[in-house]
Amino acid sequence: MTTEVQSQALDRLRQAARDPRGYVEDWKLRTGGLALGIFPMNFPVEITHAAGVLPVMVQAGDEAISDGNYLLTEYYCGFTRSVADQASKGQLDHLDGFMSADHCIELMGAVDVVRESLPDRKVFYGQFIAVMGHDWMDRKLRATVEEFISEMETFSGSSISTEDLHRSIGILNENRSMIRQIFQDRREGRYRVDPTLLQDIVKSSMIMDRQEHTALLREVADELASQSSSEDGLIRVHLSGHFCHAPNPDLLTAIEDCGAIVVDDDLFTGYRYVSTDVPEDSDPVEAICAWYQDRNTNAPCPTRVQHDIDWDGYLVDSVRNNKVDAVLVLMAKFCEPHMLYYPEIRKALSAADIPHLMLETEHLGMPLETIRTRLEALFEGIRRRSLQSANA
Amino acid sequence: MTTVAADTRATSKVNRLKLPEGQNMVNEYWEDIFSARERGQKVVWYNGSAVNPFFQAAGLSWAHGEAFSARLAAQELEKPAQLAAEEYGYAGELCSYARTHLGCAVLTESARSRKVNAAQTGIVGLADQEELASRLPTPDFFVNAYAGCSTGQQWDEITYRVFGKKVPIYNVDIPFLWGNKPDSTYLGGEEWEGASDYVEDQLKGMIGFIEEQTGNPFDMDALSQNMAYIKRASELRREAMALCKTGPAPATFWDWIASIAHINFMPASEGLVTYFQAVKDEIESRLENNVSGIANERYRLYFDGIMNWNKLGELARLFASYDVSVVAGRYTHNAFWQEPHLIDPENPLRGMAQHYLLCPTNHGVKTLKNMTNKDLVDYDLDGLVFHSTRTCRAFAGPQHLLAKSAEAELGLPSIFFEGDVADASFYKGEMLATRLEGMLESIDIRRTRAS
Repeated sequence: MTTEVQSQALDRLRQAARDPRGYVEDWKLRTGGLALGIFPMNFPVEITHAAGVLPVMVQAGDEAISDGNYLLTEYYCGFTRSVADQASKGQLDHLDGFMSADHCIELMGAVDVVRESLPDRKVFYGQFIAVMGHDWMDRKLRATVEEFISEMETFSGSSISTEDLHRSIGILNENRSMIRQIFQDRREGRYRVDPTLLQDIVKSSMIMDRQEHTALLREVADELASQSSSEDGLIRVHLSGHFCHAPNPDLLTAIEDCGAIVVDDDLFTGYRYVSTDVPEDSDPVEAICAWYQDRNTNAPCPTRVQHDIDWDGYLVDSVRNNKVDAVLVLMAKFCEPHMLYYPEIRKALSAADIPHLMLETEHLGMPLETIRTRLEALFEGIRRRSLQSANA
Repeated sequence: MTTVAADTRATSKVNRLKLPEGQNMVNEYWEDIFSARERGQKVVWYNGSAVNPFFQAAGLSWAHGEAFSARLAAQELEKPAQLAAEEYGYAGELCSYARTHLGCAVLTESARSRKVNAAQTGIVGLADQEELASRLPTPDFFVNAYAGCSTGQQWDEITYRVFGKKVPIYNVDIPFLWGNKPDSTYLGGEEWEGASDYVEDQLKGMIGFIEEQTGNPFDMDALSQNMAYIKRASELRREAMALCKTGPAPATFWDWIASIAHINFMPASEGLVTYFQAVKDEIESRLENNVSGIANERYRLYFDGIMNWNKLGELARLFASYDVSVVAGRYTHNAFWQEPHLIDPENPLRGMAQHYLLCPTNHGVKTLKNMTNKDLVDYDLDGLVFHSTRTCRAFAGPQHLLAKSAEAELGLPSIFFEGDVADASFYKGEMLATRLEGMLESIDIRRTRAS
């Protein structure tokens, strides 16, 4: 399904999403500013923004991976191998430094390759605790956020005031909130949104100057609102998983081509990324700590350890609340937290009698025809079951 | 370089240390776990860091998940648990320690709840369940204290969920030693001191949790005594390792592998000290009598990678068949209470916290390069063999950068071979032999040129 939105504003978002390097080089030329490469999934970009630095989420590249396969190993996820590949080939040279907050051993490997490949760049790692809910967490988390602020000040050469942080929090919240509204409209069926278009919107928000992005998004949102809302006969699906990087747009297109409409997701380059705002009415350091913790409530993640939060339960509730017909679990090959949690998802969805299908993805070279066959079988089964219950 | 006959078993040149009581110690330990319930002992499951001295001081029975998976793999008994895990939904690319252990958890929980029986799953035979699941007692609680690999904490969280979130769990967060600061070094700098404080504080919290679970005040004197034994055992182990720095080495990497269980999770006791005293005595005796760990040592190599437990004997024989003494490795020489000077038995928490941080997968490459290259020089080695451990991404990730560093800094060659910790299907033995022959030839050529 192709969305009819074809504005210049959308073109600019698409261009930034699909050519991050081009956008960043142009931005640096225009502004003379510094650009910081950040790694998924929980880095607090407000701190970077408050320092006047452009935060740029490092994305998986479009090229086939060569160097990355032997700088790491072939059984690291496609995203981390792609990052290593890009670093080795000089394709991250436009970024003036790098920071990361997540403890994933595969990601750490990729960041280590970046540090080795670009020895003149600052590569800072501040570990956000993945074990949530312990009494010592607040103290440690706050210390890490303060360390990020201090390191960002050193990197940018400018101090970051409380007012700077408040202002950046407001700007980032506004951007997230606008994107979230599109997700909400999609769930409610107010208009159709091509999932590849929505991916471009989210990805570009990870790269572009956020105020510029918000201005363009305002135009795009208006155009989206004028689109049709027809869903006749289509299977409403929720896309789940796919952490750290975007699923291949061809896969998203194939899903809709097989007779489905994507109405919801918890993808990283989807709702997960914009799920949570930073509170604006408190001390900004406290607020960033709260944001980090709230994210795992608003869109639970298997990379976090929190005993009272269930991703599986969240999915079941989300499916029921949003009248979803099926869940498609998109699992990036070799993603260990997802491999570990998947049986819990499968168990919960099966117990709730929710049709689901797990599709493993690779960086490039997915067997799309096989995937189409599996999707068609799933959707056909759902239609048949629906007919049977209508006739019963 | 000598070409070797395919059947290395018939002509093994391995001369392993002779310590029969060592295996008994391990067997008795597992038998004690299997019979813990009969003695009325509480059972704790844990992974990763060696927090077992705390459990011992609290009178608990402790079952280390990786150790149990490794034991199953070494005995070629891992398949039923892995099949159960697969049936439950765990992918074959998942850490095979975790996969095997979770399979045991699935079997254990199924057997306990009696909701699923062998006929219903269609995968695991009842006999297998009895052999595996019923022998590993269900946990009374979990302690998670995992360094380096992010999968460690997620693995325990999932085990907690497999048991229906009904078994209490305590998490100790161990930060990764990335080496951010200019003063960051191995055992030094602001980052190291800060991380040590942070983990030490959490250990105090863990003691409180253990007290809640046992209903008894924690016995700090017993912990001090345990750490006194471990400190002495570790000193003897390190002294014995140092005796292998010049060739021919009286003991090899495979001997150190054989004593990992002892230093990692055996009860701290006079017997543990005696065991490592015996190891050191035998090595000293071998040095005096010019006895080496393999016959005709001509090459000395470093082994980087976690152990391939299914192939321990096969690997030992293969390398020996090429006159290769594998002398040291990251897994054996940079892990398991390897810095005994940090342990103060009178005030043990800080030294314990620091050892938990010193897991060999818990350093950035910046530090790992220095550690590895130092070992290569100290042990007078000719090259490196990297066991590219298919499902242990924590160990495998930095290996290519370490190989590049050894080549650039020391001019030493490397080879890689693919295998796994507990899944034999990933092992590619033929490739290893071919690559090893190639590397040994290059070492010969270099020696010829140098002479």
